[in-house]
Order: sequence, then structure tokens, then C-alpha cells
Amino acid sequence: MRVFAGIDAGSTYLKAALVDDKRQLLGVKTAPTGIDARETAKEVLDALCLQVGVEPMALAAITATGYSRRQIDLAGDNVTEIKAHAAGARWALGADSEVRTLIDVGGQDSKVIVFDDNGAVKNFVMNDKCAAGTGRFLEALARVLDVSVKEIGPMALQSKLPCEINSMCVVFAESEVISLLARRHDPVDIVAGIHVSMAKRIAVMARKAGLSGEVLLTGGGGLNPGLVAAFEDELLCDVHIAEHPQLNGAIGAALLAGRLAAAA
Amino acid sequence: MGKRKQRLLRALGRSAEGVLRGLEEAADRPKQLDYFIEVMRAAYVDDCLAERLELSEPRPKVVGIYCVMAPEELVYAAGAIPLRLCGGSHEASCAGDELAPRDACPVVKSALGSTALGAPSLYELCDVVVVPTTCDAKRKMGEELAQHTEVWVLDVPHVKESEGARRQWLEELHGFKRDLERLTGNRIKRRALKEAIAMLGRAQHQARRLYQLRQAPVPVVRGSEAALALHAFAFDRADSWTEAMTRLNDELEERTRHQQPSQGAQRPRLMLAGAPSIFPNWKLPNLIEEMGGALVTDESCVGDRYLYDPVGAVENTMEDMMVALGSRYLMPCTCPSFAPNDDRLFRLRQAVEDFQLDGVLYLVLKGCVIYDFELQRVEKLMRELGLPVLRIETDYNPEDVEQLRTRVEAFIEMIQENTQLEVGA
Repeated sequence: MRVFAGIDAGSTYLKAALVDDKRQLLGVKTAPTGIDARETAKEVLDALCLQVGVEPMALAAITATGYSRRQIDLAGDNVTEIKAHAAGARWALGADSEVRTLIDVGGQDSKVIVFDDNGAVKNFVMNDKCAAGTGRFLEALARVLDVSVKEIGPMALQSKLPCEINSMCVVFAESEVISLLARRHDPVDIVAGIHVSMAKRIAVMARKAGLSGEVLLTGGGGLNPGLVAAFEDELLCDVHIAEHPQLNGAIGAALLAGRLAAAA
Repeated sequence: MGKRKQRLLRALGRSAEGVLRGLEEAADRPKQLDYFIEVMRAAYVDDCLAERLELSEPRPKVVGIYCVMAPEELVYAAGAIPLRLCGGSHEASCAGDELAPRDACPVVKSALGSTALGAPSLYELCDVVVVPTTCDAKRKMGEELAQHTEVWVLDVPHVKESEGARRQWLEELHGFKRDLERLTGNRIKRRALKEAIAMLGRAQHQARRLYQLRQAPVPVVRGSEAALALHAFAFDRADSWTEAMTRLNDELEERTRHQQPSQGAQRPRLMLAGAPSIFPNWKLPNLIEEMGGALVTDESCVGDRYLYDPVGAVENTMEDMMVALGSRYLMPCTCPSFAPNDDRLFRLRQAVEDFQLDGVLYLVLKGCVIYDFELQRVEKLMRELGLPVLRIETDYNPEDVEQLRTRVEAFIEMIQENTQLEVGA
């Protein structure tokens, strides 16, 4: 059995996945990227290999993706996040899936990828200029409200009437949240408002990219049920979540490593 | 020399030299490219364009020109030297920030910064500058430039197809001719104009030849190289440029004959459409090539649109030549400052076919609303033709290069992917 590894070195988390030559997922692992992506990649991959029971030296090929992909010297090759996510989505979705749009909400950027019926990338739009519509936006505002990132999703679902948060800029949104708190708004409604505001922002990108079919949500954002609900309301379509939303890019990279090895 | 000017010169020189070195590092570059590299180096790095142009005493008048509507034939016929001044420098655009509103485009900011500080010195070399009334920013720039230098405004009609517009435009050109005669003290004679038209005709012929060579299935020249060679026309005498371009084309023809590709074959063939990449803003041409694309054509006003069309004078009477010039410098121009501008879509459709394009990168320079406006039509056309379009909005600031790199790379991957589909076993 030949084993292939994918490493998604994101701005916040580093994700690794192993697949075999039958395209079966063998294992995954996640750790904060930290300041040295190269070192973290080595540690995560070693731990993952130990967990799965393969020798790191025996890996047939390694492909890196993500923000720090060029720093991962372990990898024999690197691909953009777009390509990795597209490959991961094709793998995660069955052939009869109605999903044609992928929304990835990462720590530092968010992206929308639209596929055609064959799973080929038709168009993509990335937000990479500012924190609006990214995981960082949620993180920063959760901090103001003194709740953890894990809690905010379920919390948002409890709201009957989300507050309106108009600022897209994290810094201004923070002060908006503070003034809402000062005016004694229910934190539940504020949290829900934050999710709606994010979904609105990304929905604009999705429409620009030519949103079609149903949506697959990946990235850290996929772990947040409040965001899923907000997207469904905003996009008026079903939003699916990959089994390993955060690992979609890493799995895609591992599959691409397998393809490259096969082509070589 | 003021300290600010000195500093700007140094900063300009550094980034321009970076671009030129990048071109020189490619060991497989055409040998004949070096001439054009030296022209640009004289203009931006060594700041010695006056010496290079050998402006002997009595020094001929130098006419600075913006955009592509002022007939250089008239300038040459009057015994003056034209220089093209549209700005592409990040450093100069920072200097121009305080002279223009925030939302003005970097082309205008860069030109304002360079004029105000006189860096590079070629801006100071100009006795007068000609500003055609193309877009809003250029028009207002003309007004601001008047604080520093003599400005002639050339009133370009925005609706080309009407009879009134053509008559008015011809009037403008007669005015331009009179102004040139007054500036130089030389009457523009029929013979001189005829010769100037022939001289620029030879230049235009070589420019067209370059684009024809770039249609070959195996690219024999990088887009960044071709763009530099064309761009050098802005800072060179037309006849010297034509000689050098002829040599370059001969070399490229030789390469075509021997099937010598300039970069690995099988690269997706891309067009850089939209707003111009003006030297030394080589951000997108470089990214496209570094990320595995072949930049085979453009529609830039410092590239294809600059020199593509010849002047169609038949009778060679003064009036006939003036009408022909008027027609050449108005009708074929597909700058989005014209409306309607369907000709542009026609030209783009033609380019897709002629250059066998796989995709289009569409540059929107921040503040350039009219190129962004026409994007919708271009996207619609390309959808019909089955070509993907990537819109890139940026200015001259290098801070976003890494983000843009990911986007350009993903775009190129997407094109490659779509030609050879399916993951894995």
C-alpha cells in the first residue's frame, strides 16, 4: 500500500491528512500553525504517521497547500488552496451530489469556488485583503463578548431576532458590539448578528463567483452551526458540511500527491 | 537638485533596475532585447535620457505626450521629439498622492508626482505636455500639470461615430499643428509630414510584426519582454527604435523557424486585458509568467493599442494627410473612455482567435472606473467564447503581490485542470 500525505499550512491551523492509493482516508491531524510552519508540519506529520502506523520515510509523496505552503520543505510539491479544496470537495461529495459551490471560511481568508458538473473549477473569488468575512472576524468579536469560539455557533442558534452589525471592518465591528452591549442588547442576539453579517459578506462573493447548486461549507467555519444556519438563510439553499470541514484542503492535497505520484 | 527629487530618483531607479535585472536574468532572452533594456535604463535608472537621445545644440523641442491620441507624426514633422509620459512608478505615485484625490488612478498620481518633483528628469526635459481629454482623471490631471509646465489640452470627442465629432477632432489637430509650429518656429511642410508618416509607418509595421510572431503556437518571446520592447518606443527616437525592433523581430522569426520556445511549451496562453501595465509596474506580467502562464498578447495603450494601426494617407496633400491622421488617432482606439465602444469587444474576439487564448486576466487599476465598467461586457463575451476571466484590482503598491500570486496561480491551475480534468487514479 502506498500512502500519500497532504499538508494544509493555514494562517491559524496546520492540517495534515494521509490517504492510500485507493483514495481511502487513513487519518487526519490538526495543530496550531505557530510561528514556524515548517517545524509544526514535521511534528504533525510524524504524529499522524505514528497514529496511522506508517513510517514517515515510507510516504510515497507529500503535497503542501495553504498560506505557508512554500515554506513546507518536507513537501515535494505545492498547490494553491483553490486546487486543493476543489480536489477535496470532489472526493467528499458523491457523484450524484447537487453541490456546485464551495465556501471555505478560513482563519485569514475566505473563498468561494464554483464547479461545473464534472467537478472542474469554473470560477473562484477570494477575500484576501482584510479580516471581514474570515474566521478572525468571529474570533475577535467572540473575544469582546467573552465567549469562546466553540460556543458562539450554538449560541447564535438561540436568537429570535439577530442584532444588525453593519461594520465589515473588525475594528469598527468591535466597537459596534461594545456599544450594543452597553445598550443592554442580549449577547445571544449580538452573536447571531455577527454570524448574519459574515454570511452576508461572503454571500456577495458567492454571487459574484456565480453561485449555483447547493453549497458545501469547509474550513474552520464549517465547525460553526450558527454560520451554517446564517448561510442557509442568506443564500436560500442547502448548505452541507464536509465530514472533516477543516481538513478539506489537506485531504485534497493528499489526493493530489497521489495523482502526481501516479503521473510520474 | 532638491533632496526630495534625489530621493525619488534613487527609489525609482531601484525598482526600475529590479524589473530590468529580472529580464536580464533570463538567460534565454532574445539578444536583441538588450537594446530596449538600455533605453529603459537610461530613462529610469541612469536618468540620462537627454544624453541618450543626443539632443544636440540647438536643442530640439521636446513634447511630452499622454495617452495615445496625439499624432507623433506632427511632432516629428515639426522637428521636435515626442516622449510618452503616462506614469507607472509606485514611488512617483506616492509622491503624487498629495496632489490628487485618493480615488484617482495610479497612472495619474505617478505622472503628477514625477512632474512635480522632476523625477525622472525626462519629465523636466519636456517643453510642453499634451493631454488629450480621455477619462476624467486625465482631464483633471492636465489642469494640475499646468502649475508646473505648459499644457496643451487636446479635446478628444467621446463619441467617435458622429460627423460632428470627426470635424471637431480635425479642427483640434489643426490647432495642435499650429501650436507645434509656434513652439518650434518651424512650419510643418507637406514633405516633412509625409516623411514622418512613413517613418512611423515603419515603426507600426514592426509592432504589428511582433504581434504576428506572438501568434505562433510555441511562444518565442515572453510577454514581459515584448511589452518592454514596445514600451521603449515612449523614450526613443522612432527611427532608432524601428531599427532595433526589426532586429528583434528577425531574431524571433529565426526562433520560430527553429521552434525555439522562450519558456516551457504547453503553458496556458493568456491575454492581459484592461488597464495598462506601465513600466516599471511589471507586477502582473511577472506574476503571470512566474506562475506558469504564457502572456501572449494584451490590449494595452503602451502595447498593442499604442502602435498597431497605420495611417492611411493616399493622396499626400496636406489636407489628406491631416484627415488620415485624424482618422488613425481616433477611430481604431478602443480606450473605454469612448462610448459606445463595441469596437473593443470586436478586437477582443479577434484576439481570442488570433492568439488561441486560454484565458484573460483583466487588470483594473484602482480608480479606473471605465475599464471596470466594461468588464461586464468583456466577461459576457468571454463566457460566450468559453474563456475564463480573472479580474484583478490593484495599484502600483507591491504589498498585495503575494495575495495576487495565489489568485493568478489558482487561475492558471484552473485552466490547466479544465483541459485535463479528473483527480487521481
